[in-house]
Amino acid sequence: MLQFAHPAYLWGLLAIALPILVHLFNQRRPRPLSFGAIEFVLRSHRQKARRLRLRQILLLALRCLLIAAVALALARPSIKPRGVQAAQSSGPQATALVLDASLSMRYRMGSKTLFEKARSEALAALDRLGPDEPAAAGLCAGPAGFSGGGIGAPSFDRLAVRRMLQSAQPTYLMSDMTSCLAAAAKALGESPVAGKRIIAFSDLAAHSIRLDAPPPLVPPPATAPPGAQAIRPNVVLVDAARGSELPNAAVIATVVRPSASLGPRGYEVVVTVANSSGQLVSGLQVSLKVGAHTVAKGFVDVPPRGTAKKTLGAVLPAGVVTGRVELTREEAQGLDEDDGQDFVVHVPRDVKALIVDGAPSSLRSRDEAFFVEAALAPARTGGRIHAQTLDADAAANAPLDGYDVLLLLNVAAPPKPFADKLRQAVVQQGLGVFIALGDHVDPDAYNEVLGEVLPRPLHLIKTAAEPGAQGAEEHAARFGLIEWAHPLFHVFGPAEREGLESARTFRYALLKPEGQGHTLASYDDGAPALIEKRLGAGRVLLYTSSVSRTWTDWPIRVSFLPVLQQSVSWLADALEQRQPANSMVGEERTLSAPPGTRVEKVLASGGEAVPFRRETAHPDDAIVPLSAPGQYRALVAPPGVQPREEPALAFVATLDPKESDLRRVDEGELKARLGGAGSARVAASAAAAQGVQGTPLWSGLLLLGALALLGEGALTRR
Amino acid sequence: MTPAQPLLPALLARLGPLQVTARKVMEGVLTGLHKSPHHGQSVEFSEHKEYAPGDEIRHIDWRAFAKLDKYYVKRFEMETNLRALLVVDASGSMAYGRGAMTKLQYAAICAGALAYLLSRQGDQVGLCIAGDGGTWEGVREFLPFASSPTHVQELLKILDGSQGRGATLLPAALDFAAEKAGRRALMIVLTDLFDATDRSIPALKMLRSRRHDVLLLQTLDREELDFPFDDPTRFLSMEDDRSIEAQPRQIRESYLAEMRRFLETTRKELARADVEVEQIATDAAPDRVLLKLLARREAA
Repeated sequence: MLQFAHPAYLWGLLAIALPILVHLFNQRRPRPLSFGAIEFVLRSHRQKARRLRLRQILLLALRCLLIAAVALALARPSIKPRGVQAAQSSGPQATALVLDASLSMRYRMGSKTLFEKARSEALAALDRLGPDEPAAAGLCAGPAGFSGGGIGAPSFDRLAVRRMLQSAQPTYLMSDMTSCLAAAAKALGESPVAGKRIIAFSDLAAHSIRLDAPPPLVPPPATAPPGAQAIRPNVVLVDAARGSELPNAAVIATVVRPSASLGPRGYEVVVTVANSSGQLVSGLQVSLKVGAHTVAKGFVDVPPRGTAKKTLGAVLPAGVVTGRVELTREEAQGLDEDDGQDFVVHVPRDVKALIVDGAPSSLRSRDEAFFVEAALAPARTGGRIHAQTLDADAAANAPLDGYDVLLLLNVAAPPKPFADKLRQAVVQQGLGVFIALGDHVDPDAYNEVLGEVLPRPLHLIKTAAEPGAQGAEEHAARFGLIEWAHPLFHVFGPAEREGLESARTFRYALLKPEGQGHTLASYDDGAPALIEKRLGAGRVLLYTSSVSRTWTDWPIRVSFLPVLQQSVSWLADALEQRQPANSMVGEERTLSAPPGTRVEKVLASGGEAVPFRRETAHPDDAIVPLSAPGQYRALVAPPGVQPREEPALAFVATLDPKESDLRRVDEGELKARLGGAGSARVAASAAAAQGVQGTPLWSGLLLLGALALLGEGALTRR
Repeated sequence: MTPAQPLLPALLARLGPLQVTARKVMEGVLTGLHKSPHHGQSVEFSEHKEYAPGDEIRHIDWRAFAKLDKYYVKRFEMETNLRALLVVDASGSMAYGRGAMTKLQYAAICAGALAYLLSRQGDQVGLCIAGDGGTWEGVREFLPFASSPTHVQELLKILDGSQGRGATLLPAALDFAAEKAGRRALMIVLTDLFDATDRSIPALKMLRSRRHDVLLLQTLDREELDFPFDDPTRFLSMEDDRSIEAQPRQIRESYLAEMRRFLETTRKELARADVEVEQIATDAAPDRVLLKLLARREAA
C-alpha cells in the first residue's frame, strides 16, 4: 500500500498540465511562409514525420514524468504491505506466530516445500519484531488445533520461540486453522501488551479454514473491569504458496475385494484418484505393487476438480498381503505423500476337504454329499476349496494327512481305529471336523466312538414334525438364537437373516448337557443346532440335523451355502476374514489382542516401533496414535513368551483425503470473516506480515526524474 | 563606389529600374574583363588544314585547291554573328526572396546585363519569359532576336515587368525556344529548376541535343540553400495549394541533404549532357558572377 509523508505536495502533480499546454501551444502556432523549395520540405517531412511525432510524444511523456516524479518525490511516498496501517496504529503488539504444519504444507514448489518456505518466513517475522513485542509460536496440525502443548502466552523469550520454529517439522495431519487462530487469540489475551497480532503462515487451503465460524477474539485481561469486551486481533495470513494455484492429484481411497473373474485368490484393487486442479489430468499412471514387485499398471484420466476410479487386478498369495498403489507423476512440483496408498488384505489359503458320505443315495434329495458338494463347488467358492468325496468304508482306510477339513455326513459310528486317527489329526494337526447327522447315526454308538471329539454327547433324536405330514411346516423347528457375530454368520446382513430364520427342521438330535461345546445356533426350543468345540489344534463343528432334505429343508435354502462354505473355511482356519478397516492418520487405533495374548509391540512400515498406550479396562490391548501413513503390524504374545506377529492385527493408516484438496480459500471471504480489511489481510511474505517499515520510494522517484530530464535534454538537442 | 567593388544585390535593389541596374552590372563586367589577361572573346582566326576523310566537303577551299592542287579545309571560319536567347523562368517559386530581391529580380538583372553585353558586341538577343498566361503554351512573353539598342530597351522593359506566379512551365518554354531559335544559338536559361514534374532537366538536354549552346544560371535564394528557420512554420507552396506544417529545426538536416543531393544531381547530370551550369545564390554580386562565367567560357 502506498502512503505519503507529505501528501500536500501531490498537488504538484497538477503541474503536469504545463508541458501538455506547451505541447498543444506548439502544435497550434505555425507561422505561414510561402516557400519556393517546398518540395524539399515536403520530402524531408515525409521521411521524418513518424519519427518526429514519436519524438514529440516521447518528449511530452518525459516532461510529464519529470514533473510527476518531482512532485511525488516531494510527497515522500513509501510502500507499505497491505493493511499495515491497522497493525501499526496500535504501537507494539503481542504477536502469535501460527505455523501450519498440515500435510498439504509438504507440497513441493521448486526446491522447497511450502512448509520450509513458511518456516523461514516465520523466522524472519520473528526477527523483525520490535524489542517491546512479546511473541509466541505454535504448530497448527491435527484436529485439536495446535499440536504438542498448544500455544503458550506471548513472552520475551525469543530464543525459545526461535528454537521451536527451527525444529518444527510438517506432519501428515490435517489442520484446523480456525481453531488455531481462535486458540492463538486466546493466548494473546494473556499478554499485557495492548496491541494484539496473529501472523499465520499457511497454504490457505480451503478445507483448513471454516468461513462460517466466528472470528478469533482476544478475551479481555483478567484484571479488566467486568463487562469489558473481547477485542479483535490484527490477523495477517502469510500465503506460503504466494497466490499460486496448487494442482494436485492424489490417491484418496483404495478398496481391495475378491474378484471371481480372476480365479482363485484373484483380487481387484479399486483406486480412487482425485484431481484438485482446474485442469484435466490425463494419462496418469497408476501402479499396483505387492511387496517390491509391480504387478499391474493402468492409466486414468481425472476430470478437473473431480475423481476417477481405476480398477487393477492381481492374483495374490495366501496370507496377509500388504501392497501399495502409486501414481507416477511427471512434474517435480506437487504433494508426494498422497501419491500412493498402502493396503493390507487377508487372502485366505486354499482348503482341502474330505467329504465322507455315510449314506450315498441315487436320490439326490436324500444324498447329503450332493448338497455339500454343490455348496463347495469351485464355481461357488472361486476354486478355493478342493473337496473329495468318499464313502464311509473308503474313508476309514484313507490317510487323513493333507486334508484341512473332514466332513462326516450321516456316517454310522466309525470304527475305533479311524476314530483314533481322526482325534489325533484334530488334536495334533489341527484338522477341522464337520459332523452332520442323519438316519444312519446312532447316538449311543457315536458317543462311544467319537465321544471325545463331539462338542457334547448326543442324547436322542427328536422329531418335531414328520416331513410331508399335514401341518408339518408349522410344527417344524426353526432356528431361534443365532450368534450373528460369529464368522459363520457374519456374512448375513439384517436383510439376509430371514433366509436363515425361515428354514424348517423336522428332526434333530438333542444333546446331553455335559461337555464344553459352544452353541452358535439353536432351535426355537433351545436345543443346539450348531455347536463347536476347540480340540487341541483343531475345531469340531456339530450340526444336529442332516445336510440332506431327509430331516430339514435348510439345504435347499440360499442361506445354507454361505454357512457351509464359511464353516469349512473356519474349520480349516482359512476363513475369508473381513478385511481390516483402514484408519486415518491423526486417529487412534485400538489393537485388541487375541484371547490369552497381549499386544507387545507395534511396528510402522519402516520397521520402527510406534509408541502406544494402554487402557486399564483392557490392559492387553494397545491404543496406537497414528502420526504417519503406511502399514502397521502388531506383535503379540502370551505373557513371558517371545512375541510373534499377529497378521489379523495388521492395518493401514491413510491420509486425510481432504488434505489432498489444495483449493484455496476465497481471500475476500476470509478477510471478511476475520474482521474485514481493517484488521485482517493476506500477504505474500514475512516482510508484508511485519509491516514495521515501509520501503521509501522518493529516492527512486528522484532518480527517475533525473533520467527523464536527461532524456528530455538529449531529445531536444537533436 | 569604385568599379572594383562588387555590385551587391542590396545596393542594386536601391538603384532603381532594371535599365539602370542591368547597365551597372554590364559596366561592372566590362571593367572586370579589361583587367583580365584575356582580350576579347571574338578573335577571328582561320587556317587551312589538309583535308582528311570526315571533314565537311563544303568547307573545302577550292581556291587553294586551284593553286596547290591539294584539298585544304578552312577551319574556325566564324559565323557572321552570335544569336542568344534569354529564357527566364517566371514561375511562382521564382518570386521567392525575402532579402534585397527575389530570385526573379536577380535573374532579370543578370539577363538584362547579358543582353547589354551581347548587343554591344553586335550579337542578336531574344527573350523568352517562361510562365503561364501567354499566347503560347508555357511562354508568357517572347521577344525575337535583334541587336538594336531599342530592342534591348524593349527587352529590359519586359524583364522589368515580369512577375513570378503560377506553375513551372519551363519544359514547354524550352521546347518553344528551341523551335524559335531555329539554327544553332546560345540559350541562356535562368531558373531555380524547382519543377515538380522533373521534366526541366530532360528539356535542357533536349536543347543541347539540338546543338544549341546551353548555359543554365540556376538561381537560388540563400534561405532556400541554408534553411535558416527556427519557429514552427506552415510552409505554403508558391505554385499550387500544397502546404505543410513543420518544425524547421527538426527537418533542417534532412532538408539540407535533400537540397544538396538536388544541386549535385542537377550539376552532374547536365554536365554529362555538356550543358554549362552555374548555380548562383541571390546574395552574390551579379557582376562578379557574370564576370566569372564569361571568363570561364572564354577560357574554354
